[in-house]
Amino acid sequence: MRAIFEFGKKGRLRYISHLDLQRFMMRALRRTDLPVAYSQGFNPHPQMSFASALAMGWSSDVELMDVRLTESVDPQHALDQMSAALPPEMPVHRCRMVDDRHPALMAQLAMADYRIAVSGGDAGRIIDAVPAYLAEETVMAVRKTKSGEKEVNIRPLTVALSAEDDALCARLMLTPEDTLKPDLLLGVLAERGGAVDYEGAIFRTALLGRGEQGEIRSLMEL
Amino acid sequence: MTLSDKIDSLMMKVEKPVRYVGGEFGSIMKKPEEVSVRYAFLFPDTYEVGMSHLGMKILYHTINGRDDAWCERVFSPWVDMEEKMRENDIPLFSLESRTPVRDFDILGITLQYEMSYSNILSALDLAGLPLRAADRRDGPFVVCGGPCAYNPEPLAPFVDFFVLGDGEVSTHQYIDVYKTWKASGRPREDFLRMIAGIQGVYVPSFYDVSYRADGTLRAVVPKAGTGAPPLVMKALVNDLTAADYPEQLIVPYGEVVHNRIMLEIFRGCTRGCRFCQAGMIYRPVRERSMERLLELAERLVNATGYDEISLMSLSSGDYSCLPDLAREMVKRFYEKRVSISLPSQRIDNFLTETLRETQKVRKTGLTLAPEAGTQRLRDVINKGVTEEDLMRSVRDAFEQGWSSVKLYFMLGLPTETDEDAMGIVDLAEKVRAVYFSIPKSQRAPGFRVTVSASVFVPKPFTPFQWCGQAREADVIRRQQMIRQGISRLKGVDFKYHAPDLSFLEAAFALGDRRMGDVLERACRLGCRFDGWSDQFRYDLWLKAFEQAGVDPAFYATREKGLDERLPWDHLDAGVSKEFLLREWEKARRGELTHDCRKGCVGCGVKRYEGACR
Repeated sequence: MRAIFEFGKKGRLRYISHLDLQRFMMRALRRTDLPVAYSQGFNPHPQMSFASALAMGWSSDVELMDVRLTESVDPQHALDQMSAALPPEMPVHRCRMVDDRHPALMAQLAMADYRIAVSGGDAGRIIDAVPAYLAEETVMAVRKTKSGEKEVNIRPLTVALSAEDDALCARLMLTPEDTLKPDLLLGVLAERGGAVDYEGAIFRTALLGRGEQGEIRSLMEL
Repeated sequence: MTLSDKIDSLMMKVEKPVRYVGGEFGSIMKKPEEVSVRYAFLFPDTYEVGMSHLGMKILYHTINGRDDAWCERVFSPWVDMEEKMRENDIPLFSLESRTPVRDFDILGITLQYEMSYSNILSALDLAGLPLRAADRRDGPFVVCGGPCAYNPEPLAPFVDFFVLGDGEVSTHQYIDVYKTWKASGRPREDFLRMIAGIQGVYVPSFYDVSYRADGTLRAVVPKAGTGAPPLVMKALVNDLTAADYPEQLIVPYGEVVHNRIMLEIFRGCTRGCRFCQAGMIYRPVRERSMERLLELAERLVNATGYDEISLMSLSSGDYSCLPDLAREMVKRFYEKRVSISLPSQRIDNFLTETLRETQKVRKTGLTLAPEAGTQRLRDVINKGVTEEDLMRSVRDAFEQGWSSVKLYFMLGLPTETDEDAMGIVDLAEKVRAVYFSIPKSQRAPGFRVTVSASVFVPKPFTPFQWCGQAREADVIRRQQMIRQGISRLKGVDFKYHAPDLSFLEAAFALGDRRMGDVLERACRLGCRFDGWSDQFRYDLWLKAFEQAGVDPAFYATREKGLDERLPWDHLDAGVSKEFLLREWEKARRGELTHDCRKGCVGCGVKRYEGACR
């Protein structure tokens, strides 16, 4: 069996790196009474994975952690146990039990929603740059990857984008092949709008996959 | 922008923001309006180092056990963060509530290592507090404790009071008095008068210090009307089983130096190694009962989720029921995959059996500390270990599947000769021979021996407190002799350091109040994190000594007369001066003193009520 937990990573905990979060969650699982399955080998550790790494500095209320269990437990009990094992700025919202044949979260992940709060003297320039960006078919930008820098057309990776007074709402592709990170989008909009004095606070609001008919659905419910 | 927002705005601009985040699982939050004493505990080094410190965990737990007080943690910001904090006008703050340190009632600082003193001054400065206690009209009282508090004199100008000895009880005593004082509205100095009589409390401003023409101390006497005692006795907790011990620990997000459950199985050491300050100042030995340790272990594993328990003490192999304890722990925690480790492994215990127990779950590294290269010198320092003991231990270890061993030595021990130094090479060679004498099929591959030699620093309240540190030229010559000797041994590495840091350490360990000026100047010149080799600026330190007109060699390398008044003679660490003198004379004759578990050696700690009964 596997338990999928939806949790938040907010406030000052947004500065915890993904690697640190993984180690922290291993210890958190040990604070629960859940029948966690351990890996074999010299240095056994809980079998767990995350749908997607959240970059340092970003907040989220929709992170997903997938934990393999040796037997099924009541989801409400698992939720209570995890909540007690985590600090207040890492709230656990939901828990769902799936069986071992359920696809891996990472394989199901297709896109994510972000809310990017913009502040600073030039924030308006970023908001104003949205309509022109949406009108383009091709917007080339340099994406930094592990293997180096690569120029890609990010416009098709921008599934949806809208602007409010002081925030952007963006739905961006998030697959191994096609990924657009919200900080890159923000940087492109700032450059196009001529914004220099600005800050962006990134909040992930949904992790999404596709249902049987190709419809976009929350990964937690898929 | 609030202070918290300002701190957040720096997080993406500094190395390892996890050092400043706080909010860890197990950290204590309280409502400021519901407590009457706000206590900031400063560990004057990085978060990773400080979070590995047991004393802080104990005091954090015991203070926060009170409803009327809230203890929060403070660490030295790394140089990048300090620079950004100064640029952005951010004062030194606590991790829990991000409150400026200057707004606390009490600032407690632990003194683990002399070369953290520059960080203490820079922390006071970053907190916006005047460095000198005499210049502080408000703000928190600054109190220091920990092993280096046994020679507090170099820090005396900057600290309101010191606490010698165990903190579990004395901390509550002065917090109680603080509440009374605060409610009374009396002047600042009155608080110090009110606590001067508490056992372990030392208020340096209540003592007059005079010097002789040759620069040595004449006298340190309490000022009339202050209530300060002529001899300050250390605070002592006799029953460790009954003493407060954390049942919950803060679980850091990032990796810290010792990221595991630390279970203090006993305090003190009976061995009597003559170089070892801890072995003297933490006397007498006080064990926690096995029942209590098992209960604590159970609770801590459940509360923290750690998968490793370290059985801590100065010499864990000496715990009276160690085999039983280790066996029971391994049994209870096998299912949870919790490993048990024993640091500070001495080489003359029944090592084999314990090793068998602990490796059931996970194998830990093997470290042995012969300390000196020849039997003569090991006898001088009263390290009652023979070459046969060492060889038996490594043979056992190699036969059990270990292939790498670390050997710790000290260079510059009193009476050391070149022959003693070459004895280190000789031992390394013999350890190597032991490994290769075991048939290939019965030993693990990957033979490696790491020989580390630090430079000996004479410490107060040890039989070597009168000794001068070895001269730099001698140390360097012996380091090179060993290096050349070991370079022909395949699989053996030699680690050593330039002796300049140890020289400064000795000057502070053995220094008096006049070292305070040096420290202040060094801090102004930019000395920070001296224990970190990439930050250590020996040139700036030498400049500070020159500016202050103080000669470090006067304290570090000069041999002191047996009748000379030492800077810490008005303090009492438990062991008597007569005992130390007796031990120094025996050391010079190469005579051993037996482990006091085999019979009292008259160290003087029995002068304390209820001690060593």
